[in-house]
Amino acid sequence: MRAELRWIRADLRARRGQALLTILTVAGIVTALVTAATLLEDGTNPWRGLFTRGNGAHIWIHTKDTPDVVALRGLDGVTDLAGPYRSAPATLASRGRKVPIALQETPAAFQAVARPLLREGRWLDVRDPDAVVVERSFARELGLAPGSPFPVTGLNGATHALVVAGLAESGDQGFYPDWAPGLVWTLAGTLDVVEPAAGRTESVVGLRLADPDDTDLVVQRAVTVLDNQVQRVSTWREVRASMELDNRLLGLLLALFGIAGLVAAALALANATGGRVLGQVRDIATLKSLGFTRRQVTWTLVAEHGVLGLVGIVAGLVVGRLITAYALPDTVVVPLSPGPFAAIALGTGLVVLGSVWVPAWGGGRTPPIPASPAAPPRGHLSRLARVALLVRLPPALVLGARDAFTRRTPALLTVSGVAIPMMMISIGLGCWSTLDDFIRHPERVGQAAALTVRPGDLTADEALRRAAADPDVAAVYPGAEPDALVPWQTRTVRTRALGRSADPYPFPVVEGRMYRDRGEAVAGQGLLDLLGVHIGDRVRMTIGGTPLIVRIVGRVVEPEHDGEVLSFGLDSLAAKDAVPQFYSLVLREGADPAEVRTRLHGMSLDVSQVVNPADRLSIIRMIIIALVVVLALIGLANLLTASALGLRDHAPDLAVLKAMGLTPRQVMATLVAGTGLLAVCGVVAGTAAGASLSAVLIDLEGRESGVGAGIGRAPTPGMLAASVLVAVGASLLITLIPARRAARARVPHSAR
Amino acid sequence: MTGTPAIKAINLVKIYQSGGVPVPAVRGIDMRVESGEFVAIMGPSGSGKSTLVHMLGGLDVRTSGEIWLDGTRADTLSESGWALLRRRKVGFVFQFFNLVANMTVADNVELPALLGGATPRQARERREYLLGELGLTERASAAPAQLSGGEQQRVALARALANQPRLLLADEPTGNLDSRNTKDVLRLLSDVHRKGQTIVLVTHDARVASMADRVVSLLDGEIVDDGALPRARRRPAGTVGDVVELRG
Repeated sequence: MRAELRWIRADLRARRGQALLTILTVAGIVTALVTAATLLEDGTNPWRGLFTRGNGAHIWIHTKDTPDVVALRGLDGVTDLAGPYRSAPATLASRGRKVPIALQETPAAFQAVARPLLREGRWLDVRDPDAVVVERSFARELGLAPGSPFPVTGLNGATHALVVAGLAESGDQGFYPDWAPGLVWTLAGTLDVVEPAAGRTESVVGLRLADPDDTDLVVQRAVTVLDNQVQRVSTWREVRASMELDNRLLGLLLALFGIAGLVAAALALANATGGRVLGQVRDIATLKSLGFTRRQVTWTLVAEHGVLGLVGIVAGLVVGRLITAYALPDTVVVPLSPGPFAAIALGTGLVVLGSVWVPAWGGGRTPPIPASPAAPPRGHLSRLARVALLVRLPPALVLGARDAFTRRTPALLTVSGVAIPMMMISIGLGCWSTLDDFIRHPERVGQAAALTVRPGDLTADEALRRAAADPDVAAVYPGAEPDALVPWQTRTVRTRALGRSADPYPFPVVEGRMYRDRGEAVAGQGLLDLLGVHIGDRVRMTIGGTPLIVRIVGRVVEPEHDGEVLSFGLDSLAAKDAVPQFYSLVLREGADPAEVRTRLHGMSLDVSQVVNPADRLSIIRMIIIALVVVLALIGLANLLTASALGLRDHAPDLAVLKAMGLTPRQVMATLVAGTGLLAVCGVVAGTAAGASLSAVLIDLEGRESGVGAGIGRAPTPGMLAASVLVAVGASLLITLIPARRAARARVPHSAR
Repeated sequence: MTGTPAIKAINLVKIYQSGGVPVPAVRGIDMRVESGEFVAIMGPSGSGKSTLVHMLGGLDVRTSGEIWLDGTRADTLSESGWALLRRRKVGFVFQFFNLVANMTVADNVELPALLGGATPRQARERREYLLGELGLTERASAAPAQLSGGEQQRVALARALANQPRLLLADEPTGNLDSRNTKDVLRLLSDVHRKGQTIVLVTHDARVASMADRVVSLLDGEIVDDGALPRARRRPAGTVGDVVELRG
């Protein structure tokens, strides 16, 4: 043990810079993984952040009268109470329609448990009794902002002109419209005004638990304690479930990037360790002649380089935690949960040890005769160099080209070390341009219509007439979204009757054809997978008790409901069901949906704007940027190792080159050409592979997530050209550093 | 010729494969080195002398034949078996010194002792003793690159002797030194030999070989001459032998 430790210590001391670079590379990758995973978790599970920040209550109990607070507080496992608050049902008159809301009493001072998180405007104030604070998702849906009028009608029919003071979020209730009615916080006095009859209000109390796993038990006990008073109970699990996004697509993307990051890290480490081992062949042989066994050498190398990697992992985990805690306080509230955190630690740990073990094993197999100094196989000009000679390139370039592939394995490692990060960067750019494409061409993801109009209080014809009259509306398609019962399915599937068979809605058909006749339909990938049917098959279902048989004639890109949607013309439905519930408005090219929406609002139409899937996936962009940075750093670190290694190989040659009459500049050019050529090969190969793979991979992920193939876009040529140029430029600069130093140094011409 | 020999080689053969063509380097050598003997192996380049010494120390694998070290058969040992054996019984000195570049002189000398299981304290004491004997005490914390060739080879010798091996194998130890340093190193070898150290030394320098008790001459992988040097020839006037004599 002592001898090995002595060697490791001496070696680390001799190459502090390299060791630090290894640690930084691994730490960077782990940091990026932790950050990306945290962002993903936070983005797809907003409940965690809201609940933690608002110090939420795990259980909400609605009772007729004020419950026995002392008894509830005394329950085993309950640490604190929120409320009890009074809550009253009311109606909001919003642009010609009546929306049910729940008014909930709340103190003007922020409470310790279950406090709403104010996002816009200001909080309630006793001096302003007409103010209310509206739950943000509800406000968004209704187009409310601080300052908007908020006319509320109580159960007694009296209308009160309240005003929105602020918008707040809460982890105690799901997002609207999944969780209705819309939540509105008011002061106790305001609630009394709207609902003076005490008998029509209910009492709400929140319980915060020491251990969330005790929820079921505490609910049972609370129901027993409150004895018949309980009207309904909601728990954090329901809230969380309703808030969770479908994160399969994001998860797949992150997994892809994670694997790429790990592969790149493995390459970087294998390259660094391999380079080091190659540089130490003589020392290793000497150690073996002294009596080091093969296994001892291998394990010493694994220990040395593995420890560097593990230190990097620990540093990365710590820095990742710190970054998510301090640098991104607005986006990230809760650190990564232990599961993914441990998975990242373990995964990178295994990768580090594996990628270090391979070159270490090779080092252990070094023959113990130290007499033969490590030297590249000499002699032949590579084919590339011969070509370079033929086309009369400058001698420095020819020599560099000759050097580039003298050692096949390290050359291959270097090329892959650059190509793999470059490929992942190109795939990342592909994801980016796919998102751009979603936004620029929403019709390609089934969102030709930017707005949806519901008749509300108006007659369907009147609504249609008003909507169609707008100058920016190019087309109006009547639609209905009835649920259908399909044989062998335990749940219903969403069907979308939109447009008429003769005038179909412009669905993006990617396979088969559009429906043209009654009884024909197109489906998303998710539905095809769910029912196990193919294009051309007939599907039998029941809508509102009426049987309906349709033939699937095409597949469309379907971003909603995991692609489990069947679309056909409204006229395919039975006459009683073929009543338009809404109208989808396709706008003129270049029209601003928000503007049109405001105009139509003005004509007392109930208009909602379609959410582009790219908006929901915007978190991906942050992940892409972070990973591109880390991947670029990894590629450059690889190159630095490679050029240092190339330099070591050619150190004896430098004296010869100078003796032959090459100027320092030419020597430098030779060295840069040697590594630069490999870098250019890697960059070009990686970009080509990434560009051709990205559309395929994204389509594959689209298929997995039910959206269906047909969304993937390759990065634009401009993007690719820019990334290639930047990558090649950065690589040449990186190889220039050691080359410059070497060209200037006086090289002693002797054996060690 | 009584007692257990330090080395016994029986019909030792080494055949390298070079591009599919077998190239015999050592063709059936029988050799016996008694304990405490100083044997020089001479021969022109390519005669197989280095290969022979490497095989005797287990650095190279024999193609056929037997090697007995200290009465124990060693040629059947695995690579790690040989490594363990070298730790205890064999010290190596090479032409190009082969000090571990990243380690100080002190670390280089202590390494084999630590490897052999000595405590850091024992290793340090042994190192201090050896460096003192070789006149290198004040260079203990220097890096090998800061030493002259002769100094490096003396450190290599100290390292080879760190575990008090039964056998010292030296492969052209003076091949890379000037005459002054050659003299120093030979004097040291002679000193340790006088203390009972068995030495097998490879050289192509007749003056160096003249230090030995016995010279084995190799040609094309076979022994062509094996004989003890007459005492008179070991003390010709004006050679390195004088230095040894004066010191003695």
